[in-house]
Amino acid sequence: MQLFWLSFGFGLVTASVLAVSAVGLSLQFGITNYINFAYGDFMALGAYITFVFNNEVLHWNIWLAIVLAAIVVGLFAVVIQRVILSPFARRFDKTFYVLIVTFGLSLILLNVIYSIWGATVRFYSVPINRALHIGPMLLTAYQLIVMAIAVVLMLGVHVLLKTTRLGKSMRAMSDNTTLAMTSGIDTKRITTITWFLSGMLAGLAGAVLGLTEGNLTPASGELFLFVIFAAVIVGGVGSIYGAMAGAVLIGLATEVSAAFINPAYKLDVAFVILILTLLFRPSGLFARSGKG
Amino acid sequence: MTQVFYYVFTLIFFLFDYFILAMGLNIQYGETGILNFAYIGFVAIGAYVTGAVSLPNSVGTGQHYILGLNMPFPFNLLIGGLTASAFAVLVALISLRRLRTDYLAMVLISLSLVLYDICNNFVPLFNGADGLYNVPAPLAGVLHLTTNSFIPVIALVTGVIAMFLWWVMSRITQSPLGRTFRAIRDDETVAAALGKNVFRKQLTSMLIGSFYAGIGGGLIIQFGGSFNPSAWLPGETFVVFAVIIVGGVGNNVGLLMGSLLVETLLVHLPAFLPAIPGHPGLIEYIDAMLIGVLLMVMLWFRPQGVVPERVRKSTVIDKLLLNSNGASAVGESLHDEEATSVSQ
Repeated sequence: MQLFWLSFGFGLVTASVLAVSAVGLSLQFGITNYINFAYGDFMALGAYITFVFNNEVLHWNIWLAIVLAAIVVGLFAVVIQRVILSPFARRFDKTFYVLIVTFGLSLILLNVIYSIWGATVRFYSVPINRALHIGPMLLTAYQLIVMAIAVVLMLGVHVLLKTTRLGKSMRAMSDNTTLAMTSGIDTKRITTITWFLSGMLAGLAGAVLGLTEGNLTPASGELFLFVIFAAVIVGGVGSIYGAMAGAVLIGLATEVSAAFINPAYKLDVAFVILILTLLFRPSGLFARSGKG
Repeated sequence: MTQVFYYVFTLIFFLFDYFILAMGLNIQYGETGILNFAYIGFVAIGAYVTGAVSLPNSVGTGQHYILGLNMPFPFNLLIGGLTASAFAVLVALISLRRLRTDYLAMVLISLSLVLYDICNNFVPLFNGADGLYNVPAPLAGVLHLTTNSFIPVIALVTGVIAMFLWWVMSRITQSPLGRTFRAIRDDETVAAALGKNVFRKQLTSMLIGSFYAGIGGGLIIQFGGSFNPSAWLPGETFVVFAVIIVGGVGNNVGLLMGSLLVETLLVHLPAFLPAIPGHPGLIEYIDAMLIGVLLMVMLWFRPQGVVPERVRKSTVIDKLLLNSNGASAVGESLHDEEATSVSQ
């Protein structure tokens, strides 16, 4: 039983990282209606930019480094969207083309990261901290902070979507872009802001993934991507709250299962849940009409 | 001299092998419109199964793998291809139902990663991260080949297989089945409205394409004698996509061109360049970036590829139009979907 609670604690940490990344992916998908297959590499980019701020020259505090890296990745995402993805999406009707372009983008980004930082495993320079007993769970202060950040961000996204004018415009666009445009919403501006938010969340998630896993490799984001996909599909593609719920479910399932099966396969559990969802509830737990 | 000789035949081998792989992906993506982001997984299954059935029983070899049947050359390849096909049908049965393009792509890329994870970690299956090695060279015993004379022979054998598969593929694409595939690609709803069972045709397309993937993969393990997880990271699928998009989607001659331009010239020729001192692997990284950039540039400026798909005309529809109002010029502008409805 103790093992269960220990892995439950780790599950909450994984769920936090997943929630941040899955919401970032879902926000962008809802607005532009195509999946960004380079999302995992946006995460890796965030992790490595954090590494640069934190280690190499600047020796900044890790949290400051993460915030700055998130902003950099957010701006980077906007540039990518403006220069590459939007022109392709406008020019070709079928989603095929944009998907292949994002897939290619992922190949390019991954190899850029490899060329700059190499294939060696890197570590953040953070002081080693002792694990704290939180009830039956055993967590480090960093893991607790990561969980707090996730909760705050999720609440922030909720407030943004439900109460602000920007959030209302985003939801309107996500429901029907053409209708939103005819109602006088500046869709181009909303798209840009969404990409910035999505990139920021990706960068942040990548950095905290590196922090919670204890190391970073260029392919870590890409390998994590399918867990994000699982969370998003299980929750219902395009639904922000579904993505949050899916993240908690998948995060807990993968970590708790690691207590009972070989931990090398823990991420594959996410895939099994994904397949089960597809078989029995293909539209996801929190399906939205109009996105099926 | 011998070195150059060896390089040239290696390049020829990859030219034909990727031509086979490209034909397989083309019938799925180019003809039927299934965005198969797990393609390299099927290639890997073909390679592993081909290797495992041609190796002797694993006891005492220092490797761990299933099967181990000592099977001789063309049969091992066939088993590899058929296993890939069977697996593809299983995958398609689950994932092709009620899934739109991007969901399907997400599920398939996840599948590719999970397959990779399992083959990498689960040692008893295909020897884990070390992969299979010491796979017997095909025909070596029969033709008394040495290590040097083996390379040209396997390149030639691959060429012959590629030509045969090309012939088969052009029969398929010209048949009513091929027309139905293209109708599904252009508009699923229209194809369904014309009474086509879209799901079944997609299954057929997955089955045929993955057979090609399995054969291509089998030839890779036969060529090198070894195969391990580092050879099929999910990004490798993208190289095959680059081959068919650069060469020309929906056109077999284009695929051969694409294989020459992307696989031979871009992927394998730079492998012979001397490494940049102090930067191991930098050439490969830059190479992979170039493939990504090339693909985007091609998609933007010439989405139809180097050799575009032919506009297929139906003789039946020409005649019909000629008989009714003598306007055969109208018939020329008609595309495939219309032809399908009349000729079948």
